[in-house]
Amino acid sequence: MTVRENVANGFRIVLDGHRRSSLLSRIGFYVATALTLLFSLYPFYVMFITSISTNESLYSRDRGVIPKSFTLEHYEVIFGSGSFPVQTYFWNSLSVALVTSVIALVVSILGAYSFTRLDYPGGTLIRRGIIVVYMLAAITLVIPLFQLLVRFDLVDTKTSLYITYTVKTLPLTLYILWNYFRSIPVEIEEAAFIDGYSRLETIARVIVPVSLPVLVAAFLFSFKIAWNEYLFASVFLQSEALYTLPIGIETLDSAFQNVWGEIMAASIITTLPIIVMFLYLEKYMVEGLTAGAVEG
Amino acid sequence: MRERIERIDPRRREVLLGYLLVLPSLLLIGGVILYPLIYNVYLGFTEVPLNPDQSPVWIGLENYETLVNSDRFWEATYNTVVFTVASALLATALGLAVALLFDRAFRGRRLARGLVLLPHVTPIIAVAFAWQFMLDPLWGNLPDFLAWLGIYESDVGLLQSRDHALQMAILFDVWRNFPFAFLLFIARLQAIPQSMYEAATIDGAGRFAQFKDIILPELKGTILIAILLRFVWEFNAFEPVWLLTRNLETLPIYAYKSAFSTYNQGLGAAIAVMLFLFQLVMVAVYMRFVGEDEL
Repeated sequence: MTVRENVANGFRIVLDGHRRSSLLSRIGFYVATALTLLFSLYPFYVMFITSISTNESLYSRDRGVIPKSFTLEHYEVIFGSGSFPVQTYFWNSLSVALVTSVIALVVSILGAYSFTRLDYPGGTLIRRGIIVVYMLAAITLVIPLFQLLVRFDLVDTKTSLYITYTVKTLPLTLYILWNYFRSIPVEIEEAAFIDGYSRLETIARVIVPVSLPVLVAAFLFSFKIAWNEYLFASVFLQSEALYTLPIGIETLDSAFQNVWGEIMAASIITTLPIIVMFLYLEKYMVEGLTAGAVEG
Repeated sequence: MRERIERIDPRRREVLLGYLLVLPSLLLIGGVILYPLIYNVYLGFTEVPLNPDQSPVWIGLENYETLVNSDRFWEATYNTVVFTVASALLATALGLAVALLFDRAFRGRRLARGLVLLPHVTPIIAVAFAWQFMLDPLWGNLPDFLAWLGIYESDVGLLQSRDHALQMAILFDVWRNFPFAFLLFIARLQAIPQSMYEAATIDGAGRFAQFKDIILPELKGTILIAILLRFVWEFNAFEPVWLLTRNLETLPIYAYKSAFSTYNQGLGAAIAVMLFLFQLVMVAVYMRFVGEDEL
């Protein structure tokens, strides 16, 4: 059976309604699923296997898909030696992503609450404008932003990333939060008003506790955007001590020849937190990713 | 002070508070997105001196004339269009196919869905290097595999030759973005009530008829959204190409190189203005066909 027939078979069974299925079409379905997963996951397999393969097996002509011997030396090199300061990159990425997500979350809680609960002229317009703004790509902003950062003497500072990353994630967190706030019954708040809470107290003591899981999701989505960001960091940062993981890994690649083991080990380190995060985010994935796949 | 605030009538206080709460968002977005966008239009008409203490020199349309008269610009435009159309359509088609495949009950379904999303959510730098290594002419597995299939046999790496670099960038981008379309479609498919399929089966509709008469009409809008969104993002995609290969120049890469490799920031700004105009047109098209509420 050719690949094409298998895949076609997979679809036929799907279209066949959801129940009746012969053995043959079941096999077709599993083959199609296996191919889909192979296509999706093979690069991750390569990443992982390369990171634990010895250099001899990586750079030999007769290597197979599964190497003959394994080692953790690449991980030791990136964490233990001065020429691969992956630890520094890691902490930089972490601090930038954390600061960014906290600011974005606080700002968007206030903004999203304002959109959903308070009625004022121009509110809808602002809300729509923010979504349109979110469709803009970073490449159209990077040149003027660089010029402005030069003028404010912010080039090569973490502050430049805090500011730009916060704004990069803001439309998404606003969107996620106002979608959720809309579903909170107004009665809950009215009860709080009767107890003598002001609006701000209500936000802090009623809205925030009620929406905690969604706040965590919004936080993680903005963390992910900051953690993955490459373009701004590549332009705004100059000294290696400030590099985040994406820029750091790229520097390793251009500074050394044949360090694939180390690069893949660093890639695994970069990828793991995001994978762990998405185990938690599964429930919110549709909303968050489809609204926010902007870094595409 | 507090008394004064309380003396304002509640309706106006509400309005004031509304503006106050949304103000931080507006200031940030205004300062870091809207103002730079406008400033960028201005930069496009200037030559930006290397010395940051000197202000940009107005040169009118010169940057645009340079671009329109250069082969490099048109080649980058061609690459961008091919890359955009091919990867947007292929990623959407593959996403639809996988969504149809997974829209049924089977063991491990949740896990399979989660795994399929990985290419889209992981840091692009990590997966771009994994692909680079897979495609490496000396050490990668894929060239051997392709040679074994008899599809491609050459010592020139797939990412090193210009023609193949474009194909590989499209392949990489489809791999990375089909989960986005998948996610849109699977959510939509699940909203189709089972009773519709049952009614169709009773009426004697075959599998293809079900696809054509039930699934396709239900998904039409979503397909349009997926393709339009990918058009906007693919046209401006920088990382998927830049991090995979340096042998393919699209418009975003041309802008980046102009601004930050050769420090011709005015020219880079002019290219960015064109990219921005394209985005505006696409947003307008999106609003026209999809409607604002779907945004």
